[in-house]
Amino acid sequence: MIKSMEVYDKPLALQIKQIITENDRVKTFVFDYDFPGEPGQFVMCWIPGFDEKPFGIIRKNGGGFMISVAAVGESTQALHMMEVGDILGFRGPYGSTFSLPEKGIIALIAGGYGMVPLSYLAQEARKKNIEVHLFIGARNSKELLFKTWMEEIGVKLHIATDDGSEGYKGFNVELFMKHVTGNTKHDSADKNFDKVYTVGPEIMELKIAEICWKNNTPFEVSLERYMKCGFGICGQCSVDPVGWRMCVEGPVIDGEKLKEITEFGKYHRTASGKIDKYPWNMS
Amino acid sequence: MSINLSTTLAGITLQNPTILASGVMGVSAASMKFVQENGAGAVTCKSIGHEERVGHHNPTVYSWGQGVTNAVGLSNPGVDAGVPLLSDMIKTLAIPVIASCFADTVDNLARVAEKLLAAKPVAIELNLSCPNTESDFGLMFALDPEATTRAVTQVKKIAGDTKVFVKLTPDGSNIVDVGKAAEAAGADVLTATNTLSGLIIDIHTKRPILTNKYGGLSGPAIKPVSLRAVYNLYKAVKIPIIGTGGINTSEDAIEYIMAGATAVGIGSGIYYEGIDVFKKVTSGIQSFMEKEGYESIEAMRGIAHT
Repeated sequence: MIKSMEVYDKPLALQIKQIITENDRVKTFVFDYDFPGEPGQFVMCWIPGFDEKPFGIIRKNGGGFMISVAAVGESTQALHMMEVGDILGFRGPYGSTFSLPEKGIIALIAGGYGMVPLSYLAQEARKKNIEVHLFIGARNSKELLFKTWMEEIGVKLHIATDDGSEGYKGFNVELFMKHVTGNTKHDSADKNFDKVYTVGPEIMELKIAEICWKNNTPFEVSLERYMKCGFGICGQCSVDPVGWRMCVEGPVIDGEKLKEITEFGKYHRTASGKIDKYPWNMS
Repeated sequence: MSINLSTTLAGITLQNPTILASGVMGVSAASMKFVQENGAGAVTCKSIGHEERVGHHNPTVYSWGQGVTNAVGLSNPGVDAGVPLLSDMIKTLAIPVIASCFADTVDNLARVAEKLLAAKPVAIELNLSCPNTESDFGLMFALDPEATTRAVTQVKKIAGDTKVFVKLTPDGSNIVDVGKAAEAAGADVLTATNTLSGLIIDIHTKRPILTNKYGGLSGPAIKPVSLRAVYNLYKAVKIPIIGTGGINTSEDAIEYIMAGATAVGIGSGIYYEGIDVFKKVTSGIQSFMEKEGYESIEAMRGIAHT
């Protein structure tokens, strides 16, 4: 968990240099500035007049600093309306980083926009010649993010779509499970991957965590919690019962440490600080 | 020489003089426990009000270079969820937990306080000085000695064994008058000060950065302002003072103690120095006391006045 030397704690105004429409829901915003940040870290992006939200960082080789955002709410829809030359403010980079092994084979399990931090991690892993297996899940073929980029850098893709329009029909967790149990090259499943990384909906992360704990596979997860300050004072993103702040001690959490976060997969806190149970944990 | 770092606030003993200031970290028992593990002598919960509030839209907190500014807007789960939350904090922590509360009117403040008192906190801090809710709550009570008198009198009537702390604002020129009014109404401790109201504009987007426009300034920029308030209050009142505002290091804390503070509040110091700022400040105070030959916090308190 190496922290970048350079951190902007006041919003740094950056002009949008390029906007790439990835699909019906997602746009990538590219900036003409080498904003710092390691895989797993995030920026607080100020959308003037609307909101400030955390987004995962991508620093693409030859492409520069970028964020990829789905239009899901008022502020992200406002962001999608912005044009080249418009200004956004960035604070960060904040939070812990993923840590890669020196060599070997890793698996990335990305659900939805979990592809954003994991694509940057995949790029850094390929630079070190690590074999990368990406289990990517999306609703349909069109919503598969960064497929071409990942192919170009030599990532082995395992695609799952809800509607079966591409790859396996079903969840990427199932695909990962099949891969882990179906691989008979080694005596036990825990030899399959040297390390596993997962980012996505918490229910998906929970399932991956359970598989990895059972197989004794080292893994890291990025845990998303509502954030205000991003630099560790507001207490909004502290998790139970340890109190670690997901903007400082997280969002990337090692699998062993994750065992201590008992709220993982069960509930999170809203902006008021109230506990909100996940629908699959309503008992 | 044996050094005693403990300090006593209206009969409440703290193992060291550092207190987590209200509004910082105190969202859950877990976040408070993390602060305890990092050396705080006591903690204050985030202010609790009558109803659930999500607070202002982000951006709500950032650092502008000389300090931190915030307009979180008193987000809290509301007093009905706040009572079990406070009980959980008291049960989970080994150090004193100070309950903080706010309201729009004096009557409502007493109602919120009465509910929180059911959790039997050792102290309740009346946040009469949040600078970020003027649009919905009107001017803060702590700008007015009379409103402060009414608020303290009402809560003091029902407080029983719970000590009543009053958090003052540096925004007015009458902080000493307000402090004296609070003392006369029965306040047990004064907390000086809350954040200082301010405004910052981003010249590129040509607008204030905070959604609330105005924000409460904290951190190094306001230390001399809050320190002056503590120094002047010390001369005017007999009750203990918690010095708060821009304390990052043991030197900062010692300045406050020398100005007359019995304990020190730390908030944005967590941003500047890390969550273990409480440990670092305490150990720095100890080193200073060893070097200078002070055996107790009490022996240093107010010596800048002589």
